[in-house]
Amino acid sequence: MRVPVSWLRDYVAIDMPLDDLATRLSVSTAEVEGVEARGVADDDGNLALFKIGKVVEAEKHPNADRLQITKVDIGEAEPRSIVCGAWNFGVGATVGVALPGARLPNGLELDRREVRGQVSDGMILAEDEVGLGADHAGIMLLPETEPGTPLSDVLPLVDHVLLVEATGNRPDLQSVYGLAREIATIYDLPLGDPIGDSPQTRPEKTVAVRIDDFEGCPRYIGNLFENVAIGLSPQWLRTRLFLAGQRPISNVVDITNYVMFALGNPLHAFDFTTLHGGEIIVRRASPGEKLTTLDGVTRDLVEDDLLIADADRAVALAGIMGGEATEIGEATTTVLLEAANFEPFGIYRTSERLRLRTEGSNRWEKGVDPYLAGPAAEVATDLMLELTGATWTAAADVKGELPARHVITFRPERADAVIGIDTPPGDQYALLDRLGYDHDGDSVVAPTWRGRDTTREIDVVEEIARFRLEDVPFTLPARREMNGLLTRDQQLRRRVEDVLAGLGFAEIYTPSLRPDDDTTWKLPEPISVELTALRTSLLPSLVEAARRNIDAGAHEIALFEIARVYLPAGDVPDERVTVAGITLGGFLHVKGVVEALYAALKAEPGFTRAQNALLHPGKTAATGAGVLGEVHPRELEGEWGAFELDLGRLFDVAGGPVVYRDVITFPAVRQDIAVAVAEDVPVGDLVAAARVAAGDELREIRVFDVYRGDQVGHGRKSVAFSVAYQSADRTLTDEDASRLRNAIVNALAERFGAELRS
Amino acid sequence: MADWLEYEAEAVRAAVSAPGIPELEEVRVAYLGRKSPLALALREVRDRDTGILLNGIRTKLEGAVDARERELEGEELDRRLREEVVDVTLPGEELPLGNLHPITQVRRAVEDAFLGLGWEVRDDREVETVEYNFDKLAFGPTHSARSPRDTFFFDADHVLRTETSPSQIHEMEEKKPPIYMVSIGRVYRRDAITATRYPIFHQFEGLAVDRGLTLADLKGTLLHVMRALYGPERRVRFRTHFFPFTEPSIEPDVSCGICGGSGCRTCKFSGWIEMGGAGMVDPRVFENVGLDPEEWSGFAFGCGLERTAQLRYFIPDIRALWEGDLRVLRQF
Repeated sequence: MRVPVSWLRDYVAIDMPLDDLATRLSVSTAEVEGVEARGVADDDGNLALFKIGKVVEAEKHPNADRLQITKVDIGEAEPRSIVCGAWNFGVGATVGVALPGARLPNGLELDRREVRGQVSDGMILAEDEVGLGADHAGIMLLPETEPGTPLSDVLPLVDHVLLVEATGNRPDLQSVYGLAREIATIYDLPLGDPIGDSPQTRPEKTVAVRIDDFEGCPRYIGNLFENVAIGLSPQWLRTRLFLAGQRPISNVVDITNYVMFALGNPLHAFDFTTLHGGEIIVRRASPGEKLTTLDGVTRDLVEDDLLIADADRAVALAGIMGGEATEIGEATTTVLLEAANFEPFGIYRTSERLRLRTEGSNRWEKGVDPYLAGPAAEVATDLMLELTGATWTAAADVKGELPARHVITFRPERADAVIGIDTPPGDQYALLDRLGYDHDGDSVVAPTWRGRDTTREIDVVEEIARFRLEDVPFTLPARREMNGLLTRDQQLRRRVEDVLAGLGFAEIYTPSLRPDDDTTWKLPEPISVELTALRTSLLPSLVEAARRNIDAGAHEIALFEIARVYLPAGDVPDERVTVAGITLGGFLHVKGVVEALYAALKAEPGFTRAQNALLHPGKTAATGAGVLGEVHPRELEGEWGAFELDLGRLFDVAGGPVVYRDVITFPAVRQDIAVAVAEDVPVGDLVAAARVAAGDELREIRVFDVYRGDQVGHGRKSVAFSVAYQSADRTLTDEDASRLRNAIVNALAERFGAELRS
Repeated sequence: MADWLEYEAEAVRAAVSAPGIPELEEVRVAYLGRKSPLALALREVRDRDTGILLNGIRTKLEGAVDARERELEGEELDRRLREEVVDVTLPGEELPLGNLHPITQVRRAVEDAFLGLGWEVRDDREVETVEYNFDKLAFGPTHSARSPRDTFFFDADHVLRTETSPSQIHEMEEKKPPIYMVSIGRVYRRDAITATRYPIFHQFEGLAVDRGLTLADLKGTLLHVMRALYGPERRVRFRTHFFPFTEPSIEPDVSCGICGGSGCRTCKFSGWIEMGGAGMVDPRVFENVGLDPEEWSGFAFGCGLERTAQLRYFIPDIRALWEGDLRVLRQF
């Protein structure tokens, strides 16, 4: 909300530096996101060059049809001659004048100059020229004031606007007065009364108002005004609304907006003559009912929508927006002013369903003080009488049961225990008193404007805490036990990250939502096609990232990501933390990466032939934890490898703590063995069979050559192993070595028809 | 006698002054070779004293020649190495070196800061129920986060979690206090993609539940973590705020690292940078998980990892973190 400081001054003395005010409000009340300087510069005597003037002569410029030549009395011996382009005034008008030398907010510095042969010794001001409005259709017309009076005595020529961002639990801060109350509390200043002291005589006649739904509308005040003269609001009111960010419209509409900003209770005004039957009914919508709102949109209503209706039809969406048919217009003379209270959740549901947010709905849905309608009606009525020349001819005040103020048991020592510092109980009660709480023994009674967010002791504790935040010291919890350790899976995840980075992979993060359609977990209302479905694999994102890097001209591309995939399962998806990578290089390269990962986790992968839509049909393998292979040439040009492994399943097979084996005391015996087998025998099966045959004493077996050629024969291949035999408790003899060798050779011959070659 | 001493001196002089290996070889042949006077004389020796004398001379001469040989070889190696000069400014061989993503680096920094305080680390599911994402966290029925305009809904009961806060509920339902945990993971909000917002981002969220915890403990914990993440000179302040699941609620600010707190464009001239949300666990949340708020107290806080990365590494546009561009990633 935009809060002009000049407006705050109606209720509380603002003499402190504004940056101090902004900081203390930010800490204790609501964030002040900025302080905007508005109006004219107040330095080097600039302000003194803006004065009240009275027009004593005005006639058409002899050489220009669109200009007037005026003489303006600004309290000097002689009136000044000023050329002016506006025509909305004449002799006798009180106006604002800027003298030569004055600097305007737009940077222009005035000088005495000739306009088409006539001297102009100043400028008659329009509101936009001094930052008091947006209008440039005519000059500002001011109330009769002594010529020569400083203009800043009459208008907030120099002003500041606080940009206040109140939280959703504080509807009372959606008003200038609510903020003034906080300032008065922070600085311990007196707080003025928002209601003026001009006497109002309540008319005897009543307006027909009926509430069918007291839950949705606990109170409805309807004041009827006749002989209303619709027109422009006075400059001070226009300026306040302008600074608050609201466009001035007409006096009646401006009054409703003014009261909303001042007190926080949105109001509405109807052209009474358009209300069928001259009555107001607050009710829920009937099935199929429609209403054309002020913005010209015809809206289909549902039975949950709360309406203001007349005898025949809906005339407003309660609390959200008025209807077009009953809008205040230039010809309006009879006005029904609504000051009501609406239940927040219903307003929220309707504005949410219609996607229609207004200044009104924003306040109602937070829970406006149910007792505020009365003061709001009073202030608005004062203004109607003062500014529109109206007479107040009839009134209605229909109410159901308004909620009682909350009585809350409150222990000041509880506040100390939560905040961590002591605040004397007397100080706590004094603070609560300034905020509008009453104190009664063990209890406090919350003010009506805080009825929704202070219902419990902890809410009262917060009231104390927010004014003591800067005094709270820095301590650490006193601990009796600790467990500052990563879990095994968290440690292993770091290991995987580090190994891949060490192998040259750059880690990427890609969106979990994709345009895929291989899942049931799709957003019914995505923000874009690209971010629609929860992915079931990381590989498509990696292929795309590789492509983008190729297009960007990158070299040595190797990327990995660790993220969740979301596999459809039961009530919620099975979210599996997964690692995937893509790298230049073919099948054996990426297999090397996967083997390195397993080795780093002290695990042994097994590889079987597999298929994956993104991978080469003949160069794809699976391990117990996932898939790896050469990227399908349709996806990327050149030789690329990719893998995707489920971290949970990978960690299931990761080795436990290392148990040292003695590999130093007794030497190893090294040998090479080469066998010839049929082409279709997988090398991995030979290794596995050799391991089983030789047992624990086979310390190492490595394939170092696979040879095909005439010497081996057609359809066969020669596989050469380098083996090492070693025992932890004795030196192996030549006999041991040949026993182990024979065991391996015999096993391979038996199972695979292998012939020993050397 | 005098002759042999003269022979020895002459031979040593010849060896020491030999300019190269071939010349030294000549010296060896002349004075120690099979036909050298010394060798011939040794063959004729009959008495013990002469034998001792001549053998002594031979040993000495062999030593002198060998010493000169090593010297000459050393000089030769030095000469060769001097010719093998490389241009040390040539680039080295390119070995593959990967990178951890800045978010991962920040995640680890956060984990380490909390591990140092004796906290545990966890993560939870991202597809969350409305019950855990909102209801049990005491979100009011009109809270804007419940709107499908702010939150990704799959159906009436399932959302992509909007914050890591559901971890608070999971943790308190699974474990008995004392609890000191930080949850780190992906969260989702229905924001348009801009330089500072991305609909998918990461948060860390801490929860402490114990007896006698205070706002001061929250303030001290956050100070420790902010200094761990941003440097030891940082200061922390609290501003009042509102969150459904904490009361009192605050927003912590950390002093601006660009200007040191005097005000600049980065901190919008306030000297402070917003870090996220925090507060004391609301008694209603304790009741929702079956803990007695008179017995247990707690505090919680949450911050964005992307924001942390932006502040740590001066990244102006958050989208750079999601594009997988090696030109970006290789900086980290």
